[in-house]
Amino acid sequence: MCVLCGKDFVAQVHWTDRHVEDRARASGPGTDPVEYQRDRRRDRIHRAALTNEVLRHYGLKLEDWNGSKYLLRDRKGRSELVQDLGSLWPVAARLAGRMPDPLDPALQESLTSAGEW
Amino acid sequence: MIPVTVVTGFLGSGKTTLLSRVLIDPSMKNTAVLVNEFGEVGLDHHLLRRVDERTVLIGSGCVCCTTREDLAGALLEILGMDERADIPTLDRVVIETTGLADPAPILYTIFTDPVLQHHFFVDLVVSTVDAVNGNLHLDRNPESLKQVAAADKIVVTKTDIAEPDSVMSLISRLDAINPSAPFIESAFGEVDVEDLIRRDGTAARAVARTDAWRAGERHEMGETHSVSVTFDGAINWTAFGIWLSMLLNARGEDVLRVKGFLDVGEPGPVVLNGVQHIIHPPEHLQNWPDEDRRSRIVFITRGIRSEDLVESLEAFGGLLGARPLPLVAEHSLSFP
Repeated sequence: MCVLCGKDFVAQVHWTDRHVEDRARASGPGTDPVEYQRDRRRDRIHRAALTNEVLRHYGLKLEDWNGSKYLLRDRKGRSELVQDLGSLWPVAARLAGRMPDPLDPALQESLTSAGEW
Repeated sequence: MIPVTVVTGFLGSGKTTLLSRVLIDPSMKNTAVLVNEFGEVGLDHHLLRRVDERTVLIGSGCVCCTTREDLAGALLEILGMDERADIPTLDRVVIETTGLADPAPILYTIFTDPVLQHHFFVDLVVSTVDAVNGNLHLDRNPESLKQVAAADKIVVTKTDIAEPDSVMSLISRLDAINPSAPFIESAFGEVDVEDLIRRDGTAARAVARTDAWRAGERHEMGETHSVSVTFDGAINWTAFGIWLSMLLNARGEDVLRVKGFLDVGEPGPVVLNGVQHIIHPPEHLQNWPDEDRRSRIVFITRGIRSEDLVESLEAFGGLLGARPLPLVAEHSLSFP
């Protein structure tokens, strides 16, 4: 963190990011930082891809942004940065105009049919 | 990291009596105790602090995502004393809540405070339920229900003055609300301290009582439902994180509890433990604690039908990489 981006200081690691943080701690001095960075980036891209399977139903798209945040876009060109999955869903609800809910039958329908073809 | 044990339970359910017995034990010598009120049962302990409940609701927060400033302050003070070596090295902190308290904000405070999260972890939530009045409390007080749902262990107190039948009926009701928590019966506040405090003991005890435990039946207690689920293979942890974070954002206040082991295709399971919106930092274990290598999760919900949860997991099956199977009686499993 630098003084300029201090307002984005992340005091709380979201629980879904915890294994990444744990790995960073475990990979102390002497380990290959490049490998860790590569793993981490792969994780983030994988997460964005999986999340997009769900977000598609709401007309939204998520992508990794510089390996530090995620960029969430809608089809009208609006976009917002989010830190993690914890802060993603409230923003997604605002952009989509409805609350993304895994219990929503319409979402389940769209996920099941997407899996079929 | 210093373990924090939260003792909760409805008014008059015997929290202080239990604590006063437990704290005499020599193994509890270096334990600091935080209580909300000095009750009639005097607690005699050299590291006793009283905290006044001061709750700070953070912006757009629900009730469970509130910070207990009083608690943060008291824990920081204890931490300071410990680090300056003003007191003998601290083994544990016990927090006794008021009878009406929702335990979730206590967990939230410890997990989110920028300092506390690096020095303390919640190892156990113990709920006391009074064998005489427990049924009445559960009928009338939603707080009582939340305390049972949040428990890792349940101590049924006053079994000495309750009818054996009513103790049995209370236990089967508690079991239906929270199938993941083992029971400890306690008369006159007597309890095996080792049994109560031991963290890794929970799985073993749950196995021991599986005969009496109707695993996987969908239990419906009024508005509260609980369901145990396993999967037909290893699941994708990232996808599960997406599903659960989405569920908690949409329905967090109705998900009273999520607890279990998840097989994520690594040598050991991920230990998942959540109370409402608040998820303990998931632990990736090196090894499975027992022979059984299947995922097992319990969901305790309010107003969400078990079928709906299972259907949702089914729809996410493509992303998760495995299909959910609600557990039935022959698959008794133990929970962390």
